[in-house]
Amino acid sequence: MKEVISMWKKTRMIILVSLSAAIYAAFLIAFKGGIVIVPGITEVRPANVFPPVFGLLFGPAGAWGAAIGNLIGDIFGGSLGIGSIFGFFGNFFLGFVPYKMWGATFGLVKKDDMSMKMNSWQKILAFEIVALVASAACAIIISWYLDLAGIVPFAFLGVTITVNNFAAAVVLGPILLGLFYPRVKRWGLLWTDIMDKEEVAKGFAINVGSVLMTVGSLGGLIIGILVAVGAAGQQLYGFAGSSGQMSVWLAVLPFLIMILVSSFMLSGREQFTTEKEL
Amino acid sequence: MNIDFYIEADTVIHRLDGRTKILLFLFSFIVLVLFEDPLFILPLALLILLQSSLARAWVNIWRIRFLLIILTISSVIMWNVFASGETHLFWFVDLESLEYSLARTMVMLWMIISGMNLLSTTLNEELVLGMIKLGLPYRVGFAISTSLRMVPTISSNIYTISQAQRSRGLDLETGSIIERIKKYIPLLIPVFISTIRGTNVFGMALESKGFGARDDRTFYLKMEMEKRDFITLAFSIALMVFCLYINFLDFGNIDGLTKF
Repeated sequence: MKEVISMWKKTRMIILVSLSAAIYAAFLIAFKGGIVIVPGITEVRPANVFPPVFGLLFGPAGAWGAAIGNLIGDIFGGSLGIGSIFGFFGNFFLGFVPYKMWGATFGLVKKDDMSMKMNSWQKILAFEIVALVASAACAIIISWYLDLAGIVPFAFLGVTITVNNFAAAVVLGPILLGLFYPRVKRWGLLWTDIMDKEEVAKGFAINVGSVLMTVGSLGGLIIGILVAVGAAGQQLYGFAGSSGQMSVWLAVLPFLIMILVSSFMLSGREQFTTEKEL
Repeated sequence: MNIDFYIEADTVIHRLDGRTKILLFLFSFIVLVLFEDPLFILPLALLILLQSSLARAWVNIWRIRFLLIILTISSVIMWNVFASGETHLFWFVDLESLEYSLARTMVMLWMIISGMNLLSTTLNEELVLGMIKLGLPYRVGFAISTSLRMVPTISSNIYTISQAQRSRGLDLETGSIIERIKKYIPLLIPVFISTIRGTNVFGMALESKGFGARDDRTFYLKMEMEKRDFITLAFSIALMVFCLYINFLDFGNIDGLTKF
């Protein structure tokens, strides 16, 4: 997580935060009032393709950009509300998880070619995995909080946000990444070109961290939904009353901790490799 | 395409310090979510509307009327699905769930209106400086401020590029949601490229002016808390404490309501 703070010393990274936030917000606003899913909370968001793509290209700047962009989208889109607080953190992870996991995608991205060129099916698959994990991480953070606050049920919102995030990224993501990467690389604006290796968290047991992040995000979503809708029947784990909410709260909490711990375990340093000229 | 909500005026709300306006906005969030009963939310809503009138923010509220109408209709229907009660009215609507849906709709609308009051009376610079004065690091404040400035530019670029593509035969109005999303791809690339192209130049310009050379910095805009700010904050805090107290006494709930 060190680079999340140290990046604020780099002027170009600060500009990239603004740039990613502004592009994300502009497209979010364009689709506000389109197809509303939960009033004042979420709508169909094709713009959600940007955080994973910007996260991979701009690293921590893309993550901060996603968080700030979502907030600006809420402000200008007229949906600034109580959900915006954890919307900030959820969207941060939507941009954060992809760049942290890219170098630890279970061997799909080779050590000698960490670039985001979509030139092999392994890299496309790696993108889909990190996008799915990031989508689920974002979903459980926001849904857990909104369920706890008694605003929207976890099961409904968790699935909605995950699908909403991932649907945008699954098709458009590799296309945009393939189009943007060569240009960003040529302009020297990749986060690995701007930041120094020493400014990035070292991490530890990176592959275990990657597994933990995956289990924390997808496992948290699945377990949360099972508890919310009732693994043993609606009556046992129903939402009625505070006990229902408490069961979801307690069931998802360990997975949120797992996501947090794995964020410290993952690094991103492995992406600092010398690449052949494009 | 103009998405700047600031209204040039010299009202009592405009004259408040940026920090006061931000805190008022946050306080309104806290008090609005305390109650389930729409009758308890109504006085708070009236206070926020009074603020809108004093701030002359109605122009902006009118600008987002379609969004508010869509949200109202969908919210009233959806919250009836998420809640139930003991007094059945018709179809899936119970009296308690209807009251609750009205309350949730009011909370959502008045949060938006409260946000609109803030944006209508506060310049971007004032908003960011207010956040910095409340403890936000200035580099983060700068990033937010730059994003806020860039959003209208990018929106304008999207509009210009979409017009250019339409003149070449791109139809953005018809088709399913998937088809319409696909049609936006030709817009994404030029918008992204035109926005990112200036990044390096912008970076050099900032560094040549000493951006980031010191950890603390001064600001062109000066902000001072005055008597009216303290009076407004004292009233707001007193109101918030009162609302928290009556919520603590278990008022403002709907009997017989089952959520979710």
